[in-house]
Amino acid sequence: MLSIEKGEDGNVVIAGRLDAAEAASAQTFLDRIDGTVTLDCAGLDYISSAGLGVLLKTQKRLLAANGKLRLAGLRPHLLDIFTYSGFDQLFEIDRAS
Amino acid sequence: MTSAVQHRPLSASDLQAILDVTKALAEPFDLTTMLGEVVAAAKQVLQAERGSVWLYDEPNGELVLEVATGIKPVRVPWQSGLVGACARSRRIINVPDCYADTRFDPTVDKASGYRTHCMLTLPLVDHKNVLVGVMQVLNKIGGVFDADDEALATALAAQCAVALQRVRMTSALIEGEKMRQALEMAREVQMSTLPGTMPTVAGYDVGATFLPADLTGGDTYDVAMLDQGLLVVLGDATGHGIAPALSVTQMQAMLRMAFRLGADLETAYLQLNNRLADTLAADRFITAFIGLLDPRSHQLKFHSGGQGPILRYRAASGDFERFRPTSFPLGAMQIRALRDGVSVTMQPGDILVLVSDGIYEQENADGEPFGETRVTSIVAAHRDESATALLARIVAAVRGFAAGAPQADDMTIVLLKRDAPGLAQTFERRIDAIGAMVAFTDDAFERLAIDTRLRTRVDLAVEELFTNMVKYGRGSRAAVTLGLQAVDGGVEVTLIDRDVEPFDITRAPDVDIGKPIEEREPGGLGLHLVKRLADGVDYDYVPQTRESRTTLRFTVAGLDEGRRGSQGRGSHAVD
Repeated sequence: MLSIEKGEDGNVVIAGRLDAAEAASAQTFLDRIDGTVTLDCAGLDYISSAGLGVLLKTQKRLLAANGKLRLAGLRPHLLDIFTYSGFDQLFEIDRAS
Repeated sequence: MTSAVQHRPLSASDLQAILDVTKALAEPFDLTTMLGEVVAAAKQVLQAERGSVWLYDEPNGELVLEVATGIKPVRVPWQSGLVGACARSRRIINVPDCYADTRFDPTVDKASGYRTHCMLTLPLVDHKNVLVGVMQVLNKIGGVFDADDEALATALAAQCAVALQRVRMTSALIEGEKMRQALEMAREVQMSTLPGTMPTVAGYDVGATFLPADLTGGDTYDVAMLDQGLLVVLGDATGHGIAPALSVTQMQAMLRMAFRLGADLETAYLQLNNRLADTLAADRFITAFIGLLDPRSHQLKFHSGGQGPILRYRAASGDFERFRPTSFPLGAMQIRALRDGVSVTMQPGDILVLVSDGIYEQENADGEPFGETRVTSIVAAHRDESATALLARIVAAVRGFAAGAPQADDMTIVLLKRDAPGLAQTFERRIDAIGAMVAFTDDAFERLAIDTRLRTRVDLAVEELFTNMVKYGRGSRAAVTLGLQAVDGGVEVTLIDRDVEPFDITRAPDVDIGKPIEEREPGGLGLHLVKRLADGVDYDYVPQTRESRTTLRFTVAGLDEGRRGSQGRGSHAVD
């Protein structure tokens, strides 16, 4: 299961599993955000290529409008996936959070 | 002297007499009272000295004199004498002088000292035209029976026949109900000896089920962890009614007691047989499988008295080993020297299948039995499922096969399954199945004690390969099998896709991850990741079954390598 919602400080908080079955709902949510947005990934348990695709599409749209998506709190077991896909180079990843 | 049934008009006083009698006949519920009422009514209406009712005992072909004033019950063949002639012809017989009629049997008179002068013999036929018996009225007070008496007797006989039949059927129902209640109690005793829960045995999955037949049956099973090992029993006592239920209950108690007293399998079996031979009725016996498993050495030793076939699914070869009974049924006769039992080693994935003949012999509407092959095909096809799931499948298959045909016998199944090194399950070819695959993986990680740090990689590999199968294997409607197996330092994941064109992941192009974002596309990324995250990938295609098999290996060592943050690994198996 996946939950995605606006946090108190303007961040978007995502939690659960961002897999192929949940990608469409995540995309619908992220299609409505603008500007520079931090995606709080501390509660994200899992991401697959379908999830990466959602992030990629959102990042492309925001960059074209001088905004961007920042990833915060990404847990170590998911970092491999960003690294091996080269996505660590496409996003500003705040690992300290 | 023999008259056809007459339809003479009855007088008002005659009708009143019959109505009074009918009222009296409506009350009794027991046969003795009813017979008394019938005879009293006949005597009163026909002004006779005595009366008697012979009931027709159809199964024995006899007429039975259940009651007659002052005379003991007598049985005669239904063709014999005046009563026989009346029963056969179903016509009233009026004999004005008995001792002048050759059909008259004076035996009863001789025995009782009573002298019969004249006699009216009339058939008792109920409204469904069933012969209930024959009524005789003797010695008309002050004369002989005339045509008016015959008419009156005919009307009376119809009332008596219906009343008697009602009482007979009611008492048959009551007898049946008493029998049913007794049977129910015996069945309760039988059921109460079945183990409530299956014991937990490390490395094994045990399941058992018992489906009682409605009427009769004498199945039992027992599975219990004893000092001697895991006891596995399946028994079936012969016969119908209450006895088999009680016999197996006795057997189970004796057996548990023998083991509690420290007996080994041979002693327990021998003593059980000989005690049952002492106590069971001569025509009764019990077929039983009695086995002991040592869960550490995986040695299963058993004796089977007339219980079989005993089946063992062999995981390594994918076939069934079939054992015959080792001896005659328990209790059939004394055993002096017991022949050796059978000893088998349960290998990983092997399944011991014990099924009572109620399953094998369950017939469908066409009278075809369920048979052994249906059992073995279900076990073979679903060997990776839990014992409980397998039991449910067999039960559902038998029920479906019977399609409402009555269950003639108890059905009992005991399955003893040695854990396979891996687990597998099939999933529908749709994206929604990912949730179920994750749940299965969750369970498999726990059951196979796989390092949970490998979880994300395994989930990702499974999802990427599966979504790929769903997207590109649209021509196939076959389910996809996911298997997990614990290997040294990690886990091996196998995905089997059927009825598809080959798709070799090891030949899938890598994604250039160095491209600027504008040029990046999500396509191909999933398989690229799988190859990067797995420590080994193998691909195999079977053209005959159009089966695509991808095997991936993940190890904790590989995980640590990833943790160092290297972007590519020189030693990677699929690079």
